[in-house]
Amino acid sequence: MTLISLKDIYKIYHVGGEEVRALDGIDLEIGENEYLAVMGPSGSGKSTLMNMIGCLDTPTDGIYEFEGEMVQVMDDTQLASIRNRKIGFVFQTFNLLPKATAHHNVEIPLVYANIRKEKRMRMASDALESVGLADRMYHKPNELSGGQRQRVAIARALVNNPSILLADEPTGNLDSKSGQEIMGILDLLHGKGNTIILVTHEDDIAKHAHRTIRLFDGKITEDIERGF
Amino acid sequence: MFTLFIENFRISLSAVFANKTRSILTALGIIIGVLSVTLMGTLISGLNKSFEDSMSWLGKDILHISRYQWFSDMEWWEVKNRPRMLPGYVEKIKKRSKYALAVAPVMQRGASLSYREKKTQTEIFGTNEEYMETISTNIAQGRFFTQNEDRSGSRITVIGDGIKEAFFGNQNPIGQYIKIDNVKFRVIGVLEKQGEFLGLFSVDKQAILPFGAYKRIFSRRGWMRLSVKVPEDKIDKSIDEIYSVMRHIRGLKPSEKNNFAINQTKIFEDQYNTLKMTIGGTGVFITLLSLVVGGIGIMNIMFVSVKERTREIGVRKAIGATKGMIMCQFLMEAVTICLIAGLIGLFFAYISSLFINKIFPSTLPVGLSISAVILSMVVGVVSGMIPSYRAANLDPIDSLRYE
Repeated sequence: MTLISLKDIYKIYHVGGEEVRALDGIDLEIGENEYLAVMGPSGSGKSTLMNMIGCLDTPTDGIYEFEGEMVQVMDDTQLASIRNRKIGFVFQTFNLLPKATAHHNVEIPLVYANIRKEKRMRMASDALESVGLADRMYHKPNELSGGQRQRVAIARALVNNPSILLADEPTGNLDSKSGQEIMGILDLLHGKGNTIILVTHEDDIAKHAHRTIRLFDGKITEDIERGF
Repeated sequence: MFTLFIENFRISLSAVFANKTRSILTALGIIIGVLSVTLMGTLISGLNKSFEDSMSWLGKDILHISRYQWFSDMEWWEVKNRPRMLPGYVEKIKKRSKYALAVAPVMQRGASLSYREKKTQTEIFGTNEEYMETISTNIAQGRFFTQNEDRSGSRITVIGDGIKEAFFGNQNPIGQYIKIDNVKFRVIGVLEKQGEFLGLFSVDKQAILPFGAYKRIFSRRGWMRLSVKVPEDKIDKSIDEIYSVMRHIRGLKPSEKNNFAINQTKIFEDQYNTLKMTIGGTGVFITLLSLVVGGIGIMNIMFVSVKERTREIGVRKAIGATKGMIMCQFLMEAVTICLIAGLIGLFFAYISSLFINKIFPSTLPVGLSISAVILSMVVGVVSGMIPSYRAANLDPIDSLRYE
């Protein structure tokens, strides 16, 4: 089943009178339980594509359907709801709230989903346990290592059981050992049935994915599927 | 919704307490605003209370005839040039006026009182047996003097509760002798305790003497006024009548101006209302000023807070916060600062009111306190509006990239 369908997507910025085509006619379909790596040099439009898929950005032109529904026509509340329930973000710089504990960080999406306190506590604890942080739940981000912080971020992305996990250079700020641990978790999640979209410029990382697309100047130049 | 409300409140509190100094400095305007409005209220409530007490002591139905018009800007020499009030007027007024229910001449001066070793400085009044009708106080112990005692110049006195306390404590003062400026007087009665007049001075420290004895011993020609009791429902008519009676007594021609004045406690009321308006107006002005300044401070600090937390806003949006939720979060933060400021202001106002209460009886008005705190929250909403709106409409992608 197709989860995400991008048809002839353009994203055009005007910077000082000059036209910048961040996305230049993208056609892409992503199905359920795919493991996709998006590669390309910087400025090729990887992040723009990610933001587009994650409903943080809207295309200048083209049609984006998420689970068969047109994203362009959605209002702020509907978009927020998709981001909250259907998509989990994992960022390169973790983006945890520094003053909140790991547990509270994981709890926030559930607050926006309007879930009751007891249930929220339990769900957040479960998510943290699933990424192996049962003993670090009440530490603040600055008391955790980079790998641990990224695991908190993954727990936060997972806690609402989204269908898609969007990871933007998830290992970019980590040493290789922590990076491998994080990739291990992503592999595991994929095994459990999640769809994972990964932005990276490292071939080692991209190898974990089953399908790789390459972007250059806002266009898809390569779309390779590898059977496993 | 409730979940979010609690969460937002938690965020607000932690944001406020994470920057304690900043929050307090920001909140200062609101604190001062709430403090000034509640203190003003306390002051006015206190004034109201003591004013009402004092007014009931003075009595609305009592006219005071003297040379001087209260609260007027008459020159002193003009007053001095007017003829004195004479004791003889008492009988004349009684005879001519149909409204006058009681007429008492009142002379007054300072004197030193002593009983054995105890001494005190106080006001003494010389008056007639109708005096009790013109004041609202009753005799607590003993009796007032009679017309005969007045006419015969008996050296007897009725003392205020304050004098009784000072000299006799729990002992029975009736029949005891006290010295007034070294002349012996026998105590025949004690007045009820009355408290303080306008919170300024106690009227309990006084001694009342029969007019006859007073004149003979202290002064024949002192300052004197006449207190006239009139029916409460015919005060205006009575004033007109007393004017014409007095003009007749003075033998004034129709073309001549009054050379006396009839004073009424209503004048106090007018004066008092002016005073109240002044205090109230000043208080409202200070309050509004500090609330506006405070509001601008809050707005400013909220802009800073939004700027500082741009990345947080981006993250929150990415994980599912709507514009409305972000707006709520920051509005609530502004309101929380103002609420805490309001409560701090109220706390200081309460402490101050306890202090003020020692000077004159007053209480912090509850309704006003609640309104003041609500008002400070309104300031929070108003001044937090624009920064919160800005936060809500930040672009999530830009915010996530913000360093």
